[in-house]
Amino acid sequence: MKVSFFETGRYAVPPDLPREWPVPPAAYDPVLGAQAFQGMVERARFVEKLGFDWISLSEHHYSPRILTPSPPLSAAFLASQVDTIKIALLGPIVPVSNPIRVAEELAMLDTMRPGRFVFGLLRGTTNEYLSYDLNPKEARERTDEGMELILKAWSEPQPFGWQGRYFKFRTVSIWPRPQAQPYPTTYALGVSAEAADFAARHRIGLGVSYGTVALMAQSTGHYRRRCAEYGWGPGPDDIIWRANMILAETDEAADAALARRSANSQAPFPISQGLRNALIEQDKRNVGGQQRPANVGGVLPISFCGGPDRIIEQIRRAREEIGVGVLDLSLADPGTGGTDAMMESLDLFGREVLPRIREI
Amino acid sequence: MSDQQQQAASPGGAFREGFVEVDGFRIRYCEAGQGPPLVHLHGAGGLRLNAAHDLLATRFGVIAVEMPGFGQSEENTRTRTIAELAMTIVKAADALGLDRFDLMGTSFGGKAALWLAVTHPERVRALVLEAPAAIRPQNAARVSGTPEQMAARLYAHPERMPPLPATAPKVQAKQQRLVARLRGPDRDAELETAMRQLDTPTLVLFGTLDRVIPSGMGRHYKELLPNGHLVLVYDSGHAIGAERPEAFAEIVTDFLERHEAFLISRAETVIHP
Repeated sequence: MKVSFFETGRYAVPPDLPREWPVPPAAYDPVLGAQAFQGMVERARFVEKLGFDWISLSEHHYSPRILTPSPPLSAAFLASQVDTIKIALLGPIVPVSNPIRVAEELAMLDTMRPGRFVFGLLRGTTNEYLSYDLNPKEARERTDEGMELILKAWSEPQPFGWQGRYFKFRTVSIWPRPQAQPYPTTYALGVSAEAADFAARHRIGLGVSYGTVALMAQSTGHYRRRCAEYGWGPGPDDIIWRANMILAETDEAADAALARRSANSQAPFPISQGLRNALIEQDKRNVGGQQRPANVGGVLPISFCGGPDRIIEQIRRAREEIGVGVLDLSLADPGTGGTDAMMESLDLFGREVLPRIREI
Repeated sequence: MSDQQQQAASPGGAFREGFVEVDGFRIRYCEAGQGPPLVHLHGAGGLRLNAAHDLLATRFGVIAVEMPGFGQSEENTRTRTIAELAMTIVKAADALGLDRFDLMGTSFGGKAALWLAVTHPERVRALVLEAPAAIRPQNAARVSGTPEQMAARLYAHPERMPPLPATAPKVQAKQQRLVARLRGPDRDAELETAMRQLDTPTLVLFGTLDRVIPSGMGRHYKELLPNGHLVLVYDSGHAIGAERPEAFAEIVTDFLERHEAFLISRAETVIHP
């Protein structure tokens, strides 16, 4: 089992900070902002030292709770500060991006530090469609087309035009190309049938996130069936699961932390009820082809909870039922203030869990 | 809607049929539209008009030629090579009073169109090759079988398309014999040498989900043609004009009207002037 740490740019959120998304820029504190980015480097070095395989980054906007609106910038920043750990961009939000720009920037990264990056291509959290004015009804198809264009831009050796449904380019001819051909290590991200179908067709990995083992297994099961139809079988490294974990010295301590979290749980991107309902109405989602409402402004579930022994059993179950070979973990909710408890959990994970899950 | 109106509304419904006699063949063609002449050579399955023909006919005088030996014409046992077939098409253009014209070829017809362009470059203003079969991967399976089996090869999304009309077994067999005789090698060294000298502005289109000739073949045309442009049509199979008619007609029209300048965007992005 490989392990990744999900780095969110921990802005130390003051208690009186407005909760609702988008958070007013007037509340921004430049000192806390600079500290958050310096903290990214410290945590990257810390988890690298603990033996984590990857540090992952995401794209979110208009909030201090995940302070990384540009994954390629975050990745370039971190890449210059670490030695061995891989950096996973999970990932650029494709439907709000210029796919050619994404292809170019990721190829630049892959050239700057060959073999040190992992890329995920993402449809995005529903609220992010408001950031760049995307019609939620077009998000799925724009994602599929954008991902296809990114892969083509990476691998096509001759200049070409693109006559798409949502994207039109008369000339595409990117430099630098990625070091690895046809693609660097790349994942389609999401639990939907469409993400799995795309990944299976292009023989790339799948990254799923936030849900029960049963739901994640439903998604990866669909992926594996589709891969078989395309004549190949994904290995453990082809499946990432991004999940939240509460780890403590004992099961009882972890359960108590979970109970406290449940009583005070805060969504990372809470939005007003009317807007939330309107977005859910328009943003249709599914898990492995089964319709599910989008999680708009909601709390993210805890998938692992316990002391080291119980956590290891939960990871074993995830490996067996989901087929996951890369766990992308958060050990504290984004925007929960200080990071001391999280660093202690990370340290515990590095000492007591990581060495015992390598063979899973 | 009257029968006449319904017929005009169906793909190709506005096209008028005509015939010319050349090289001892009676060649059928379908014609519609006003504007610069655009000659189209169909694929190995024969002449099937689609919505792209209608869209192109709003800007061009489209003449879709049924090559001798296809459709209801007599079996063609005389034409020995595809270059010879191209020569017959030149004579058909003469008979139609066409001096210079735009030329579009689909799949098998793309190879015929290329031969016409390299042997008579002075006749061709610009060339469009839709999923051309002039360069093929080794052992590429031919499109044959029932209409459903053929649709599964020709279209990325056959379920979204109207059923292909059934072709009479005798006609299908006759066409297949002709194509097998004329299609030539997968890589035709003589043609490729000539392509390197072809200055004619050429647009090569491949669908990203082409299941007959993989879109990766497109890069060879880009390498060989000094004035060639490769465009990938997203989410289309082999029959691009049928499957994505608006996308196909838009780029073909833009290219035929502006040639190399079609690379320059004319999209206006101002929202509230």
